[in-house]
Amino acid sequence: MSLPLILELFGPAIVATLLAALLCPAVGALLFVRRSAFHGVVLPQVAAAGTAAGFAVLPWWTLHVGLAGMTTLEAVDSPHALAGYLLGWAFAGTALGLGLLHAFGRREGADPARLAVLFAVASALTTLCALSAPVGGERIDAMLKGEILTLDWHAVEVLGGSYALVALLLARFGRELWLVGLDPELAQVLGFDRRRLELIWLGLVGITVAIGSLLVGPVVLFGLLVIPPLAARQVARSLRGFQVVAVLLGFAGAVGGLALSFWADWPLGPSVVVACALCLPPAWAEGRRRRLP
Amino acid sequence: MTGAPLIELRGASLGYGSTPVLTGVDLSLAPGELLGVVGPNGAGKTTLLRGLLGLLEPLAGTRSGRPRSAYVTQHEQLDSLYPLTVAELVAQGGLRPRGAWRRPRPASAPAVVAALAEVDLVAASRRPFSTLSGGQLQRALLARALVAAPELLVLDEPTSGVDPESADRILALVSRLVRDAERGAVIVSHDLPRLATHVGRIAIVRDGTVRLATARELGVDQLLAAIAPAGEPSA
Repeated sequence: MSLPLILELFGPAIVATLLAALLCPAVGALLFVRRSAFHGVVLPQVAAAGTAAGFAVLPWWTLHVGLAGMTTLEAVDSPHALAGYLLGWAFAGTALGLGLLHAFGRREGADPARLAVLFAVASALTTLCALSAPVGGERIDAMLKGEILTLDWHAVEVLGGSYALVALLLARFGRELWLVGLDPELAQVLGFDRRRLELIWLGLVGITVAIGSLLVGPVVLFGLLVIPPLAARQVARSLRGFQVVAVLLGFAGAVGGLALSFWADWPLGPSVVVACALCLPPAWAEGRRRRLP
Repeated sequence: MTGAPLIELRGASLGYGSTPVLTGVDLSLAPGELLGVVGPNGAGKTTLLRGLLGLLEPLAGTRSGRPRSAYVTQHEQLDSLYPLTVAELVAQGGLRPRGAWRRPRPASAPAVVAALAEVDLVAASRRPFSTLSGGQLQRALLARALVAAPELLVLDEPTSGVDPESADRILALVSRLVRDAERGAVIVSHDLPRLATHVGRIAIVRDGTVRLATARELGVDQLLAAIAPAGEPSA
């Protein structure tokens, strides 16, 4: 297949993956140092459960609540209406997950057992909702496998716009968020509003996960939120270096994952995770050499 | 010690929600004064510090004076997972809110170097803070506080988890910083014999009240009794 043909057919999927690769490691870096890295796995799964639940109740919804006056089958054939509807469900799932994680405890990081339970319940619900959904089963399957090659340019616009907003929030509030994560008491003494910053942080993670989970799939998010920051922490010597290296590794992993996906004909999501994971052994070796925590 | 107090609490009740933890607190701190705070765990030392820093408004009584304050966290509370260099850590002390649309700025490089010079840690400025010893990290946190040129320094157990030599060095450093710049400082510590040799007055926080005495008046035995757990005899 020639490059122009690949770009014509898979351009939206390629651009969406690269956009996610630029932003998710930056958000994941903060998740990681706040000892909340497992949130990067749990939240996309909870968002996926929300999306699957959206498919499961779609017939009921179109009948009783209404979706632009469409029937269920018309809604499934209307990508824009369906995307907006599913986005609402992905956000609802993410908000529920964030609320639960918030309740489990922010500063110390949630108890891993509770996180594991949340992940297990979300996985089970996703499967059950997919099985009971009268329509959209194949889309849920594709989302869970990380098959995102059917994305259109409208989806890329939604992803790009949302992630641009998150990037702006990170640029504006990044310094405060790093400080409040490291030393919340000092942040308060210096005059920063901890509660407001926590809300901004939750919103930022919520947008990243809900949109990303729906459009590029939870598997890609698992890889990009968790693996690049873990590797970058072993290599970087400063805060700025940590963020830059995490984004570079995420981007390299996404490019490698795209290449692997085309070359081996694998789903894109798992290919990105495998490509990102390839950087871990040398990073760990470097961290071991430097005796890092 | 000269001039008007930097901060003064009169008949203050301090607590959370509507529940007071400490009542009838009468306490003032003058420029150039170093005040020690002792008491058993859970007695309300942190509540007193939060009241002095202005993070808690008195439920009753008054608080006057709003000095520019800096807080020195216990070094053990910092998570070594953060990949900060010592210079980046110190620069954080300069961050201040600048309105909704403007990013806070960290302290400038010259200010960071000057603060690190005060604590004799310039050579470590590029090292990850997680590689410092306990005493060095405590001095780095002191530099982070100094970078904001505070009038009031509040230190939460700065000698906890550091070797005796470093503890002496930290307390001597704080004494010098207070004396030279006419700052006020408040130190919470369980290291009583060491604390008593550096501070003028000591605030004993116990049984919901704060009692003030000079270190000479009390002596080490009474100080040790003051921090004994509840149920055991107090000073």
